[in-house]
Amino acid sequence: MVSTQVEFYQGVKGALFRLTRTPEHTLAHLLFIAPLFEQANQTRHHITRSAISAYHQGFQSIVFDHYGTGDSAGELDDTNLAIWQQDIVKQLIELKNHSEKPIYLSLPLSAVLLLSDEIIKQVDGLMLLQPDFNGKRFVQQFKRLALAAQLTKKSKVKGSDMIEKQVKSVEVAGYLMQSSLLDELAEQSLNKLVDFTSNCYWFEWKNASEELNPGRIKQQELLANKNNKLVIQATDDVKFWQATELQIAQSFLAQEQLVFTQLLSSNKELN
Amino acid sequence: MTSAQTTQPTNDQINEHKIKQTTEQIIALLITIIPNYDNDFWNEETELFGAIAEFDSMALVTLIGEIEEYFDITLDDDDISADNFSSVATLTELVLERS
Repeated sequence: MVSTQVEFYQGVKGALFRLTRTPEHTLAHLLFIAPLFEQANQTRHHITRSAISAYHQGFQSIVFDHYGTGDSAGELDDTNLAIWQQDIVKQLIELKNHSEKPIYLSLPLSAVLLLSDEIIKQVDGLMLLQPDFNGKRFVQQFKRLALAAQLTKKSKVKGSDMIEKQVKSVEVAGYLMQSSLLDELAEQSLNKLVDFTSNCYWFEWKNASEELNPGRIKQQELLANKNNKLVIQATDDVKFWQATELQIAQSFLAQEQLVFTQLLSSNKELN
Repeated sequence: MTSAQTTQPTNDQINEHKIKQTTEQIIALLITIIPNYDNDFWNEETELFGAIAEFDSMALVTLIGEIEEYFDITLDDDDISADNFSSVATLTELVLERS
């Protein structure tokens, strides 16, 4: 039976809903960073599978909701990028204070927009799942949801017709937030991160018969210039986060399991 | 000895090929996003917006993102209209216009 602890962990501004699976002999820690807004719902089922898989290999796996999202305290309208980043740093520092085992992060999709130099220097490695470091593009896509939602109501509107609740708040596709949060996310990019040397695995969803598009290649090259240990793994599997029905990317999970093994064995060699 | 004669494709043939190729690529993207239909459900006449329950705002925006990445094009906010997303054919037309 999986040993799971459910708690409300005290974050920097409020309680964070957190699920921790701790094996009998912890070999490493793996903190799962949820991607943003709708992507959190679209990936939750898969993150749970990854967390259980990691646990069975000896990782203490930790899954939590960002402040103002999911089952955590607070409202989305009352948060900002710095709070989310500091919540991650706080958890990493506490892990370090209580354990000498390596700490890894799992970051799917837009979760990489939360990365900062401070976070990276606390960890021994990163696992990136179809990461999109282009904050501007992410925010543009998110704002398009408002346009698309209006279409379903059969009335054509302009981009500026997102519902302005107050001067500083904006509601997009049912998510009420400070407009400054979107500005902060739009400013996030790989260029803001300094070089780092920890292990870094990048899972790129790519059909074997297709070439990678120029935008993705550019991001991979940029990260390769910042991290000389970057390993890019092509994953020919379903894009489970996009599908309108629940899907499981089985071959990705198998690949991920191999990476878990590699991380643990490389750590054993170092010791 | 007879020499093989090569004939250059006409503009119409080139356009037809482009339309066919783009349609196939769009359908491949749609199958990824909306996997619960058989492959033969999809063709250039398949209606999208308002006709397929799963083709909601989230699916639409996901499709836009995938189209932009795959075809290396940028769609304007004004392109997000019921007309452009009414069928595979109208979407193909939009993509070819922006390519």
